[in-house]
Amino acid sequence: MAEKKVYSKLGEMLANGEFILTGELEPEKTCDLSHTIQEAKEIAPYVVAANVTDSPLGIVTINSMAASHIIQKEAGLEVIWQLTVRDVNKLGIAGMIMGGHALGLRNVLSLTGDHPALGDMPESKPVFDLDSATLIRLVKDMVDKGTINGHEIENPPTLHVGAAANPNSDPMGAEILKIGRKAEAGCEFIQTQVVYDLDRTIEFLSEIKKYNVPILLGIFPMKSYGMAKGFDTFVPGVDVPKDILAKWKSIKTEFKDDKKEQKRLYDQANYEFFKPFISELKKKGLLAGVHCMAVHYPRIFPKLMEVIKA
Amino acid sequence: MVIITTKKPVDEVLNVLKDNNARKLFLVSCGVCSALCQTGGEEGLVEWKEILENEGYDIVNGIVVDDVCDNREMAKVVRKNDADVQEADSIITLSCGLGVQSIVQVLSKKYPEKNVFVTNNTEFMGMTERIGRFYMRCQGCGDCLLNETGGICPITTCAKSLMNGPCGGMVNEKCEVGNYEKDCGWVLIYNRLKEIGRLDLFSKLRDPVDWSESGHQREVVWR
Ligand code: SF4
Ligand code: SF4
Repeated sequence: MAEKKVYSKLGEMLANGEFILTGELEPEKTCDLSHTIQEAKEIAPYVVAANVTDSPLGIVTINSMAASHIIQKEAGLEVIWQLTVRDVNKLGIAGMIMGGHALGLRNVLSLTGDHPALGDMPESKPVFDLDSATLIRLVKDMVDKGTINGHEIENPPTLHVGAAANPNSDPMGAEILKIGRKAEAGCEFIQTQVVYDLDRTIEFLSEIKKYNVPILLGIFPMKSYGMAKGFDTFVPGVDVPKDILAKWKSIKTEFKDDKKEQKRLYDQANYEFFKPFISELKKKGLLAGVHCMAVHYPRIFPKLMEVIKA
Repeated sequence: MVIITTKKPVDEVLNVLKDNNARKLFLVSCGVCSALCQTGGEEGLVEWKEILENEGYDIVNGIVVDDVCDNREMAKVVRKNDADVQEADSIITLSCGLGVQSIVQVLSKKYPEKNVFVTNNTEFMGMTERIGRFYMRCQGCGDCLLNETGGICPITTCAKSLMNGPCGGMVNEKCEVGNYEKDCGWVLIYNRLKEIGRLDLFSKLRDPVDWSESGHQREVVWR
């Protein structure tokens, strides 16, 4: 195989086999990105890059390509542009890939996207002309062959393309074979859904190791008991373990009059849970890094850095 | 196979008739699919006659026709009932959308001024479990994939019609669309292909659907 081409810091660090941390930014229904830019600046010293979400849960937000460009420019933080196949057909997406490149984006994460029926414009037409695997193939053709549907691009884009994977998925066998398809399509990195179950994660990561795609483990440090509880209740398919919920609850109730101490204890509890979890997977050689999906929790990043470096 | 129809709200139909100044009506009720769906047939005809008469409409005639969607059959019906058709200002069709358009097409030659209205909503072509339980299992995509998907249609059973599922919206074999109550189509396909020992088919990276030939007045013409 020819030497891997590198187009971004993320691509470079993955190619060098460095254990990395990526973050997540969630622009909202707004035309003013100053809050997100601020958060991006706060996590920038710790992460290699941060995902910029594309109307998650089908709830419409500012366009992710525009937000990615602005955040990257204003915060000086490399982004991983999340692009779903939900809203645009493949003709439109091919145009967006060229546009994204022209705007300086160098990493794109291929996602199916939540169905519009789940969101706040449920009567929208669901497009899904491509799927998460065929979007990867489209990007790879554009980048590696310089073609779209066999037609030449004058100045082809250069982006790395990644995918999502869900270790919680049941039946796991179907998810594994699906990752095989994404790998075949040319996927260059994988970010997983949030996991809390170590045994299941080990089983899953061991199974997909054969595809030889660097894996970033999705984690969700919980800023408060409310966050933990909300995540457990509202994110389908992910259960926050009972002992975590109990611990977070005790921090909430025991230190309700000392917010500062409460914060310190939440941060410490996250550190204590994630450190052994990640070390174990790292030791087994199953991970290329960690993807932290907790938004609005930038103060946890120095602690996560300690975990990553450990 | 049946074209599955449901009844439009009576008021919606009455409002349309009013808007169009309809007075004298000729009713055509489908004796096959819509009869089975209880939106047409003899019963539907009796029901609509009563509703319309109560509203003061003049019912010129009402008949049940087996193949409303067959142009030849409709041409025959129009010929046989020519006097009634001539007298009526509007035709009310208790059928699917095919029936309505079949009548429009047939009438347009001799009676281009006549209105044709429909009392039903057409849902899908359906598989019948029993009367009152009909399921969409095929959307007539024109390039059937069932030989490769264990006889389960991804276009219909996957809420996103994905070619490479399951997506991240699947939880415990259920689909995110519809509150996790329906089976994820791609899990159905996975389980089926596993049963028949053909997971190699599941592993295959599939091309997106080719839309170049679809969607615009598709036709099958072989003579
Ligand atoms: S693939 Fe599905 S929609 Fe297409 S013809 Fe076959 S069953 Fe019908
Ligand atoms: S959960 Fe399954 S059926 Fe629902 S959209 Fe995803 S792949 Fe399709």
